[in-house]
Amino acid sequence: MHPILKDRRALALYLLAWLGPGLTLAVLLVTTVKAPWSGALFFSLPVTIVYAFMSLSAWYVCRAFPLPGTDIAKTLLSVLIAAVLSSGLWLAACYGWASGLQRMEPGLAPGERYADAVPLLASFGVGLFLIAAAVHYLIASQEAARRIERNALELQVLARDAELKALRAQIDPHFLFNSLNSISALTSSDPPAARTMTLMLADFLRMGMNYGALEMISLEQEMAMVRHFLEIERVRFGNRLTVRFDLDEGTQQVRVPPLLLQPLVENAVNHGIAQIPGGGLVHVFAENDGASLRLTVRNPADPDRVRPRAGGIGLHIVRQRLERMYGGEGRLDVQESAGEFLATITIPHHT
Amino acid sequence: MRVMIVDDEDLARDIVREYLASYPGFEIVGESSNGFDAVQAISELQPDLLFLDVQMPKLNGFEVLSLLDVRPKIIFVTAYDSYAIKAFEVNAVDYLLKPFSRERFGQALMRVTGTDAAAAHDDIDTLIRSNRLPAAPVERILVRDGTRVHVIPAESVDHIEAQDDYVTIYAAGKKYLKLERLSDLETSLDNRRFVRIHRSHLVNIERLVRLETYAKDSRIVILTDGTKLPVSRSGYEKLKGLL
Repeated sequence: MHPILKDRRALALYLLAWLGPGLTLAVLLVTTVKAPWSGALFFSLPVTIVYAFMSLSAWYVCRAFPLPGTDIAKTLLSVLIAAVLSSGLWLAACYGWASGLQRMEPGLAPGERYADAVPLLASFGVGLFLIAAAVHYLIASQEAARRIERNALELQVLARDAELKALRAQIDPHFLFNSLNSISALTSSDPPAARTMTLMLADFLRMGMNYGALEMISLEQEMAMVRHFLEIERVRFGNRLTVRFDLDEGTQQVRVPPLLLQPLVENAVNHGIAQIPGGGLVHVFAENDGASLRLTVRNPADPDRVRPRAGGIGLHIVRQRLERMYGGEGRLDVQESAGEFLATITIPHHT
Repeated sequence: MRVMIVDDEDLARDIVREYLASYPGFEIVGESSNGFDAVQAISELQPDLLFLDVQMPKLNGFEVLSLLDVRPKIIFVTAYDSYAIKAFEVNAVDYLLKPFSRERFGQALMRVTGTDAAAAHDDIDTLIRSNRLPAAPVERILVRDGTRVHVIPAESVDHIEAQDDYVTIYAAGKKYLKLERLSDLETSLDNRRFVRIHRSHLVNIERLVRLETYAKDSRIVILTDGTKLPVSRSGYEKLKGLL
């Protein structure tokens, strides 16, 4: 929809602005072809209003040849052709109106001098159309700027949402409830163990909060958090859960995004160990491989387990974060075979 | 009252045992730490009351229940509040959210003995209201064969045939007999995958090769393994809508 036609106030302002050219045209008619004042006004005001509407078509020219994106010469040429065409059409309309006036009220018509006014009207028409086109290009550029601003805002909101979701997904409330239930059981059977568990849980939560707010942490910090998590889960699962870390030298100081490995370890426990009556080993590796760091979590998995829909939310968030931070350079590979589940994160070094 | 505790976590069983010790008249006759063992133990021990976790290895709490011939009274014990609706569809007496207090545990026991029946439904209602999610279709069918339990993934099922009170499930070249009505299976399975093409036949549409028409209202479908099944008029309408 045309930006001026869709807004009644804009249209009123636009037509009001055209009174200027209308009056100017009357003055020019009086001074150059010696038309009488009344005839000049009766002729020029209606035809400029008609031309005001005709000039609205400049919008479609500027839509068809948007300024950034089209060759300037091509744009100018198209605008010029449009100006000449509409000016020609307008001349025909002027002629019609002049002869109509002549027939109805000869006293008010511009009279025989109309023919003398043709060059004046033609150049007036072309000039006005060019001005109208310029105004329309201005409107278009303003609209584009507004659209860009709106898109940027929308993107910001989306990013904020995604971050919030990521944060919320970081600590599974069921992990908390189950841990609290373990503490509740231990308070009577083994009070020192209950205290140890409470402290570990507090440490884990605090690390999650502190690290979650940072851009990057060292792998050592991430591993400390993972170890706490697994210690807590070991209280819950007893001897069903065994844990092993194989961390290459020189990997500990590598900078990594916080809570990237943590969801993989959580998955290993929830979808691996927790689904097997006898449990098993969660094995965490960290290796330097040239310019990249490889983090692997390996765990047994029951092939008959009920699988989370769409591959699980945890893995999805890890993939999303890798994509956002490293583009194609960071990735998560997942493979499952013969009752074993393997998740590997590969990211470029940031030391 | 004979009680069994089914939970895969030692500490979670500990706490039920500890709380229950102060109630005379309840005797713990057995404990299980996974679904398979639980089905067997419950069938053998026939307890009156079951404390049942939902998330367990092999079979979850609901799957355990679906495999029992005789159901004891059930108190669910879980950290997840999202199973509340399902719990009451299977007529559970109560639903304890971990961690729970001694008082809350006492209330649950009173519901079992029937001395606190009226109060039972308040927090259940709250739970149900906060969990209005449509039930997800089942992704595996469980068949009990003596003491063995077969887990049949839904996508491996070719077709299912009704036979009196039984159904015969054809999956991956094997046949399984299950005591269940075909209409019940039809509602619990994913209706985008399984279509009731006939009063006695439910078919996995991914196994369809073609549909042949012999006469008006006399049609059959042919499956990938060559099986031919009759299609009723309403079955044909459903297939037409899907294909």
